[in-house]
Amino acid sequence: MFFHIVLERNMQLHPRHFGRDLRDKLVAKLMKDVEGTCSGRHGFIVAITGIENVGKGLIRDGTGFVTFPVKYQCVVFRPFKGEILEAVVTMVNKMGFFAEAGPVQIFVSNHLIPDDMEFQSGDMPNYTTSDGSVKIQKESEVRLKIIGTRVDATEIFCIGTIKDDFLGVISDPGSTS
Amino acid sequence: MHTCDLCACAMRVTMCNHGSSLKRNMCPHPGVYAGMCMRCGQEMDDEFGVAFGYIHKKLRLASDEISRLRDKDLKNLLRDRKLYLILDLDHTLLHSARLLDITVEEGYLHNQTDALPDNLKSSLFRVEWMQMMTKLRPFVHSFLKEASNLFEMYIYTMGERPYALEMAKLLDPGDNYFSSRIIAQGDCTQRNQKGLDVVLGRESAVLVLDDTEAVWGKHKDNLILMERYHFFASSCKQFGLNCKSLSQLKSDESETEGALPTVLKILQRIHRLFFDEALEDNLEDRDVRQVNLSQMAECTLSFLIKALVLKTVRKEILKDCKVVFSRVFPTNFPAEQHTLWKMAEQLGATCSTELDPSVTHVVSTDAGTEKSRWAVCENKYLVHPRWIEASKYTWQKQPEENYLVHAKNK
Repeated sequence: MFFHIVLERNMQLHPRHFGRDLRDKLVAKLMKDVEGTCSGRHGFIVAITGIENVGKGLIRDGTGFVTFPVKYQCVVFRPFKGEILEAVVTMVNKMGFFAEAGPVQIFVSNHLIPDDMEFQSGDMPNYTTSDGSVKIQKESEVRLKIIGTRVDATEIFCIGTIKDDFLGVISDPGSTS
Repeated sequence: MHTCDLCACAMRVTMCNHGSSLKRNMCPHPGVYAGMCMRCGQEMDDEFGVAFGYIHKKLRLASDEISRLRDKDLKNLLRDRKLYLILDLDHTLLHSARLLDITVEEGYLHNQTDALPDNLKSSLFRVEWMQMMTKLRPFVHSFLKEASNLFEMYIYTMGERPYALEMAKLLDPGDNYFSSRIIAQGDCTQRNQKGLDVVLGRESAVLVLDDTEAVWGKHKDNLILMERYHFFASSCKQFGLNCKSLSQLKSDESETEGALPTVLKILQRIHRLFFDEALEDNLEDRDVRQVNLSQMAECTLSFLIKALVLKTVRKEILKDCKVVFSRVFPTNFPAEQHTLWKMAEQLGATCSTELDPSVTHVVSTDAGTEKSRWAVCENKYLVHPRWIEASKYTWQKQPEENYLVHAKNK
């Protein structure tokens, strides 16, 4: 799920950046430091949309660096247990398949794939129904439900299922949408 | 029966209690992905089950699940009439050497591809970012192509993952043979030992091709030992071989008679014996290790027979010669125990310490000894000891004229 929230961060700036472009340099450094990172609480910080407030700078003893508390608005992405997501399949093997929804990596084990789908090995490994009508392979889009999430410094991992109603393949990679 | 939406356990319960820890505990926890059970999402121990990092770095599987996957996979594989084949990299399918270990004599290997000899153009690769060179073993592409029809193949190396992946690109540029089945040093569960515990194939259907026996301690019956491939000079020194390497001799293993074509025939034979339709038992009950062992026993037997044949042939080389040695052995040394005496007897000659009319050759380094002078007088051959050695190494009686010993000019 996406959120548009306000976060705060203390930015340290070297005195050589002081001058006319101080605020721009601060914002540029903020974007470089923060966009693309992950936190357990907020999830994946996708993009900074604006700066709400830059507080007064505090000179640090001994180093000369200055710390500015910055409040900024950003779009974050965080998967939740029970959430329904759409993802693109990246790898299929006998244990299940791996899919990606943006920065989130999801694993759907074959225990959570409907029983009527069988694994077929070969050049393009896939899961197919017995009548061949539904096929999950690399690049397929699937709708899945999140069963569990785990966040580390730069990545989010999830366990997913497609065993419920209305879950499964959205489109075939070969067909036009 | 009720399936819980939250944990999708699909376990039979009479009363659903969302988030109840009781339900979670009923899940068999077949495996773990990124620290979560792949079936119920519960947080699991980091050390749960066996790590299958080569498939996905965050994947771990419980032993029951591993068995279940193995059994299921075997059914599919046997239906396609295939078995599993695990391939080692270094000295089995290829040979790598660091750039700084390339000797001066091997300098020609640094040339541009067009300037290389034909046989190296498509089998010698320079991996700049790893600062090394790799030579693929002759016949390796044909080997992999043929073997892929009979086996699902794995790479299993004691090298590190980046190296393994780079070599896989050279051996399998089309990603047809191995896909994610590349096992490296970091995947081993035991240090310095390769194990089939990280292979998703039943042990009774796995064959291993490796040049090193010691690392396969627990699975010797699955192993087919390969002759080591040494191309670069660096490893000749490492393995204590005192000869020039193939690269220094500007030579290579035979494309048709080398180790890979030979072992391919063995693999095809084992495959044929395993899938023998005449046998009455189920395919799933058969054990490829037994076929491998009987194949090895046959090889040993044929090797022993060959050795016997060679011994008989050798005895023909100097069969009509009677040899006496002069000033070749140290005094008080029992002549019959000297290497040269035994060598001459191996070649079929009769050796003696006494002169008599039946003697045909006197072997000496000095033309001035009593026995040497007798030989010249009686018109017998007076030859240098090297005559015996040369006859041994060339498998035929050398012309004595090339090894005559002449009197020193006074």
